Amino acid sequence: MTIRRQILVAAAATALLLGGPAAAQEVKGEEHVLPNGMKLLLVHRPDEPSVSAGWVAKVGSANERVGMTGISHLFEHMMFKGTKTLGSKDPKRDLEIIEEQETLRGEMRAEESKMRAAWRRGEVDDLMKPENKTARYKELEAKFDALVKEQRDLLVKNEFDRIYTKNGASGMNAFTSYDMTAYFITVPKNKLELWFWMESDRLKDPVFREFYAERDVVYEERRLRVESTPTGKLDEAFDSIFWHSTPYTWPVIGYASDVANITKQQADDYFATYYAPNNLTAVLVGDFDKAEALKLATEYFGRIPRGKTPPPEVTTLPTKWEYDLRFEGEADTNPTAEIRWRTVPFQHKDSYALSILAELLNGRTGRLYKSMVLPADAVATQAYAVHNGFVGPAKYAGSFVIGAEAKEGQLPPEVAAKALAEIERLKKEPVPADELRKVKNNVAANSFRRLSSNFPILLQLMVNEAYGDWTEINSGPKKLEAVTAEDVARVAKTYLVKENQATALVSRKAGSAPSADDAALAEVPEQVRPMIKQALQQLAAEKDAAKLKEGLAQMETQAAQVPPQMKKGFELLVTKARERLAELEKAGDKK
Amino acid sequence: MKTMKNLARTSALALLGALLLAPAAQGVPPHPDKLTYPKFTYQPPSAKEYRTVLKSGPVAFVAEDRELPLVSINVALRGGTYLSPAGKEGLADLAGYLLARGGTATKTAEELEERLAFLAASLNSGYGPDRGNVSLNLLAKDLDEGLAILREVLTAPRFQDDKLKLRRDQLLNDMKSRNDDTADIEQRERGFLAFGEGYYTNRYTTKASLESITREDLLAFHRRWVDPRNVTVAVAGDFGKGVSRAQMIAKLDALFAKWPYKGEAAPPVPTPTHAMAPGLYVVDKDVNQGRVSVMLPALARTDPDYDAALVMNDVLGGGGFTSRITNRVRSDEGLAYSAGSGIVGGVWYPATFRASFQSKARTCAYATQIVLEEMTKVRDAEVTDEELQTAKSSFIDTLSRNFATKAQTVNVFLDEEFTGRFAKDPDYYRNYAARIEKVTKADVQRVARRLLATDKVAVLAVGKKDDLLNPDPKHPVKFPELTGGKLTDLPLRDPFTMKPLAPAAK
Repeated sequence: MTIRRQILVAAAATALLLGGPAAAQEVKGEEHVLPNGMKLLLVHRPDEPSVSAGWVAKVGSANERVGMTGISHLFEHMMFKGTKTLGSKDPKRDLEIIEEQETLRGEMRAEESKMRAAWRRGEVDDLMKPENKTARYKELEAKFDALVKEQRDLLVKNEFDRIYTKNGASGMNAFTSYDMTAYFITVPKNKLELWFWMESDRLKDPVFREFYAERDVVYEERRLRVESTPTGKLDEAFDSIFWHSTPYTWPVIGYASDVANITKQQADDYFATYYAPNNLTAVLVGDFDKAEALKLATEYFGRIPRGKTPPPEVTTLPTKWEYDLRFEGEADTNPTAEIRWRTVPFQHKDSYALSILAELLNGRTGRLYKSMVLPADAVATQAYAVHNGFVGPAKYAGSFVIGAEAKEGQLPPEVAAKALAEIERLKKEPVPADELRKVKNNVAANSFRRLSSNFPILLQLMVNEAYGDWTEINSGPKKLEAVTAEDVARVAKTYLVKENQATALVSRKAGSAPSADDAALAEVPEQVRPMIKQALQQLAAEKDAAKLKEGLAQMETQAAQVPPQMKKGFELLVTKARERLAELEKAGDKK
Repeated sequence: MKTMKNLARTSALALLGALLLAPAAQGVPPHPDKLTYPKFTYQPPSAKEYRTVLKSGPVAFVAEDRELPLVSINVALRGGTYLSPAGKEGLADLAGYLLARGGTATKTAEELEERLAFLAASLNSGYGPDRGNVSLNLLAKDLDEGLAILREVLTAPRFQDDKLKLRRDQLLNDMKSRNDDTADIEQRERGFLAFGEGYYTNRYTTKASLESITREDLLAFHRRWVDPRNVTVAVAGDFGKGVSRAQMIAKLDALFAKWPYKGEAAPPVPTPTHAMAPGLYVVDKDVNQGRVSVMLPALARTDPDYDAALVMNDVLGGGGFTSRITNRVRSDEGLAYSAGSGIVGGVWYPATFRASFQSKARTCAYATQIVLEEMTKVRDAEVTDEELQTAKSSFIDTLSRNFATKAQTVNVFLDEEFTGRFAKDPDYYRNYAARIEKVTKADVQRVARRLLATDKVAVLAVGKKDDLLNPDPKHPVKFPELTGGKLTDLPLRDPFTMKPLAPAAK
C-alpha cells in the first residue's frame, strides 16, 4: 500500500544520517539561479534510465505560530490537489464553488466560535463529538456537503497523480519537517519535461480544492501517528518542554484543535509568502542533459513571478535555561529514559565534534551499549545516541540525545544515571585514538553508502539545502574527519551540562500489560499484590550481593511463620531473591 | 481554451502580435497531454548475464560496479522459522541472529564486533518466515578479510552463551510490548484469521519456548540447515584493485568449499490448510482511531490470473491516489490518511487480499461500507480504458527502478532463483511488460469476480469497541450488518504465552 505525503518525525534515532560523503567521493552539483530567484541544482548520474527530481521550500513548522500550527504540513497535502488546468472538468464552476464554500465556512466558523465558548463554560465536553454540534452548524454543514457533492461531480479525481502515473513516474511523495517541506518523484529519463510542466504548473496556478476533506485526512494522520500510538502524546509533550522558547516547541503535525481550525485563507496567504520561487530550490539527480534541463527550467519555472515580499526571517533565539528539566510520564510501553541537551544548529563549528561524540556512544560497539546493555549487571536492553538527527530540527537550534530502554526490573532513573555516567567519563578521559578512528571509519563508509543511488542523493541535497547549504554533503565529512579527542571532551564539557539538560523518564502505565513477573504475581492474593510487587522492584534493583544474601537468610528463617495469605507472595520473593543473588554473584565473578 | 476563444475575436493586428509571441507559447503547452517525448523503451537486464554455478554448489549472481569503493555480499539460506520445532519457537530466529552477533571459533563476540566496527563493515544475519540471510557490506580493500570472517561465521559460529542470554532478554522485553500498539495487535490477529492458530507463521515465540532454547540447540540447528546446498548468493560492487569478476567467483567458490559438516536440504515451506471464516472480528483497545482490515483468500503468484489480479488491485486500491478506495475513503470523505488494498501473490502458497484503513472509531463502519461498495463495483462493471492504461503503466514504466543499482539487480535475480521462478521462467522480467500489456478489461473483471466475494469477507477491527459500534449519526452504518450480522470478540493475548486472555483479566 502506498502511503504518501508524510511527515518525518525526528525522534527515530535509527534514521541517523550524519552529513554527507567522505572527501574522496564528491557530489558534483551544478548550481544555477533563475532571474526570479529560484535555485536549480543539477547532478548528472547515468546509472539508471530515470531522473529523481524534487524541490524544497525553505519553510516548515518553525515558521508557524500557535493558532495555525500544522499549516506547513496541511499545506503540503494541498499541493497535490490540482491546478487551474488539472483536477476539474469545469475549472470555472469549480472556483465558484470554492468561493461559495468559503462563505458557508465563514458562517460555520461563527458557530464553531459559539461551541468553543460553550466548551469553555463546561456546557459540552468534546467538540469533536458529532452530537455536540449546534443545530445551526448541522444545517450549514448539510449545505456545505451539498456543495462538496456538486464539486465532486466535476472533479477529475487526483488528476495530478494520474498524469504522472500513466507516464511511468513513481514514488511521488513529499514530507514536512520543522525546517523544510520537500516534494519529490522519479520519472523515466525521456519524461523530464513532464516534471517541469507539472511542478511549475502547481507552483504557478495551484487550486486548493477539497480543502476541508483534506484537513480531516490530516486529522486522521495525527490520530495515526500521535494520538493512537503508545507514546505519541508523551513524545509530543516532552518535545514541547525541551524546545520551549524556540519555534520547535509545537509539533510538525500541529496541535489537534489547530489542525481542525486552519482556514483556506490562511493557506492562501502562506502560499504567497513561502512558496515564491525565491524561497525554493529544485534538484535533479539522474540521467539527463544539463543544458537541456537548464533550458527547461528557464522556460517553465521562469514563468513564476518572484514573491512580492521576502519570507520573514525566524528571529526567535533559544533562551538559555539554568536548571535541569525533568519530565515523567506513563504509557503502554516498556520503561525508558531519555536525556537531551540543547546544543548547536546545522554547520555550527562545534556540531561536528558533537556528532562524533554521539557516534562514540551509539551502536553495538558504542559506549552506551557496552556499559548499559552488555554487562552481566546490565540496566538496559537497547541504547542510542544522536546529535541533530536527519531531517530533525536543526536550522535554528540543535539537540544531543541519549536514551535507553530499561531492562526487566530496572527503573528509569537508574537507567538515566548510568547513561549520564558515560557522559561524565567522556568529559574526564580523552578518547583513545583507536576508538576515534573506528567511529570516523564508519562515518566515512556510511557516507559512501548513501551515494549508491539517485534518490538518497536527492534527499540529502534537498535537506542540506533547506538547512542552509547543500555543499555540506561534500564539506561535512571533511570536518567530521578533522575532529580531535580534545574537541570531543571540550564539547561534552561545554554543552552536555545540567544547565542545558532535560530528562524524560517513562514508565509502563499500571495494569497496561503483564510484566514478566505478573504471571507469577497473578497467583498472589490481590490484597498483598501491591506490596509484593514493590518488594520485587526493590529486589531487582538491589546491587549489593552481601546485603541480599543476609536478607535472604533472614527470610528463610522466617518461612515457617508466614501467614497463609502471604505464602504465595513470600515464596515468589524468595525465588526472585535467589535469582537476583545468583545474577549478582555471577557478575562479581567476572569482574 | 479561453485564450483560443479570445484570439478568434481579436483584430488582425493583435493576432499578428500574438503570432510573434508564439514561440514562448509553443514552449509551454497548455496541457501535459500535449507534450511529446523522445522514444525510449526499457530493456531490463537478464539473469543469465550475472548467473553462475559455483563448483562448491551454490548458484551465485555476481556484478561488478566500481562507482563506490564498496562491495556487498548476500547469502540467502533456504529454510525459515518453519524449521523451529514445536516448543522451541524462536530457535530459527535466535540461530539466525546470533550467527553474526555471537562470535566465531577464533573470535569472541566482542572481538568480532570490534573488528567489524573498525573496518566499518556491516554484517547482519537472521531467519525470516521463509528464508535466512547473512549479508556483508564493506570497503573493497577489506574484501579478503571480510570473506574470511564470513566463512567463519557460516561454518564455525560460537553462539556465545552471554550473547544468547542478552538476546533472550531483549526478546522478552519486546514481548512485553505485544499489546501496546494496535498496529501490532492488528497484524497478529490478521495472521490468525487468515491461516489459523496452528500455522507456522502464527506459532509465536513464548517466554517458555525462549527460555528452553540452549546453545546446543543453536549449534544443532545451524549444522543441520546452514549448508551450501541451501545457499544462493549475490555479490555486487568493487572487488578490489585488479580483481576480475572471474577471480571474485573463485573467491566465492572457496567460501562454500570443503564444508566442515554435513547438513540437510531444507524441506519446502508448509502450506496452510485453514479456511478463513467470514464475519466481523473486534479487538477492544482504548485508542481514538480504529484499524480495519477487510480480508479474503487470494492467489499464488504462479496462478495464471496473477497479472490480471495485480492490475485489478491497482485500480481498486493498490495504486495509491489513482485507485478507487483511496479516492473515496481518503480524498472524497477525509476518513483516513492511508486507505487502499493489496494482493501479495504468495510465493509458496496462495496469500490473501486485504483492503485496509485507519479511521476514528465512529467512522470505521462507514469506511468499511465504502470499501465493500468499491469491491462490488470492480466486480460488477468493467474498469475504464484510462484506469486500465494507468495501472499498466504503473507496472511497466517503473520496471527499471527494480534494477537501479547493481546490488538491487543481483538481489532481484537471487530472489528469482531462490523462489524457483528462474528455473521455470528464466526471462520473467524480459517478458514482464508484454505480459502486463496483455491484460484486458474483461480479464480484470473476471479476476475481480473470482477473488472479491464481498459476502465472504473477514473484517478485523481493532479499536474502542463501544465507539466502533456507535456510528457517527451522519453515517449510521451498523458494523455487524456489513458481514451478515456476525460479530466475534477477539480477546488480547497474554504476551508471554500468546494464549487468549480471559476478558475479565484485562
